[in-house]
Amino acid sequence: MKHQTKLSEEQQQVAAQQTESSGARTFASAEEMLRYDAKHTTVPPAVVQRLQKSTGDLPGPKTSWWKRWLGGNEP
Amino acid sequence: MHQQATESAPAAGAPADLGSEEFSSLYTEHSRAIYYLALRFLSDPQKAEDATHDVFLKAFRKLDQFRGESSLRTWLYRIAINHCQNLRQSWHDRHVFSNADDAVWDNAVAKTDSPLRVLETKELGQRIQKTLDGMSDEYRLLLLLVADEELTYEQVGALVGQSPDAVRGKLHRARKAFAVLFEKTA
Repeated sequence: MKHQTKLSEEQQQVAAQQTESSGARTFASAEEMLRYDAKHTTVPPAVVQRLQKSTGDLPGPKTSWWKRWLGGNEP
Repeated sequence: MHQQATESAPAAGAPADLGSEEFSSLYTEHSRAIYYLALRFLSDPQKAEDATHDVFLKAFRKLDQFRGESSLRTWLYRIAINHCQNLRQSWHDRHVFSNADDAVWDNAVAKTDSPLRVLETKELGQRIQKTLDGMSDEYRLLLLLVADEELTYEQVGALVGQSPDAVRGKLHRARKAFAVLFEKTA
């Protein structure tokens, strides 16, 4: 995996480190910080509701051709 | 603002019911990554919501064309990047707006190996957004993609049209830019 090479072991330890103050935190790199931010980000429920409406009138998605070729779940 | 949960957001969210099992699991597994990319790239929660909807609607229509040559995540990212770049481009056309000059970071003094410290994670999202807003689209996108643990450098390179070595080189400068700009948001 890419991240085993991207960050040194030492940096990863620093990333895991949380300072004493409750809201304080230390990140080894920008990516580490973005990853934390992403994990704490919620997709607004409105997206799935809108998708249900948008896709409701459309025929269901066809299974990918390679799945059909492999004998997937095509009816 | 609805992009930040007060505490840790659910790992993958509740399974979405979108009619087809294949499409529902596609959404459940990848929607957060796509929404996060759109949110931080477009810097607007409403536009990010619209973009996420549009990306998955496009995926729904084209799922049968997915060839399996790349991962589904990469395929969705490609749709999302094209969509977000088109949105940004049309915005740029209407507003005279110049991107940050990446050459500035070559001489910037920043210890990219030093950890980034925050005293309050509550406002982290706002600081990150402010930081990314000061970066060029190229560096912003690069950092957002590299931050996704599911992508390899090769996959990131394919998404941004660069070799893996070029990605590594630019990543160094992008980290430096991020570190300098993040400090300024304190």
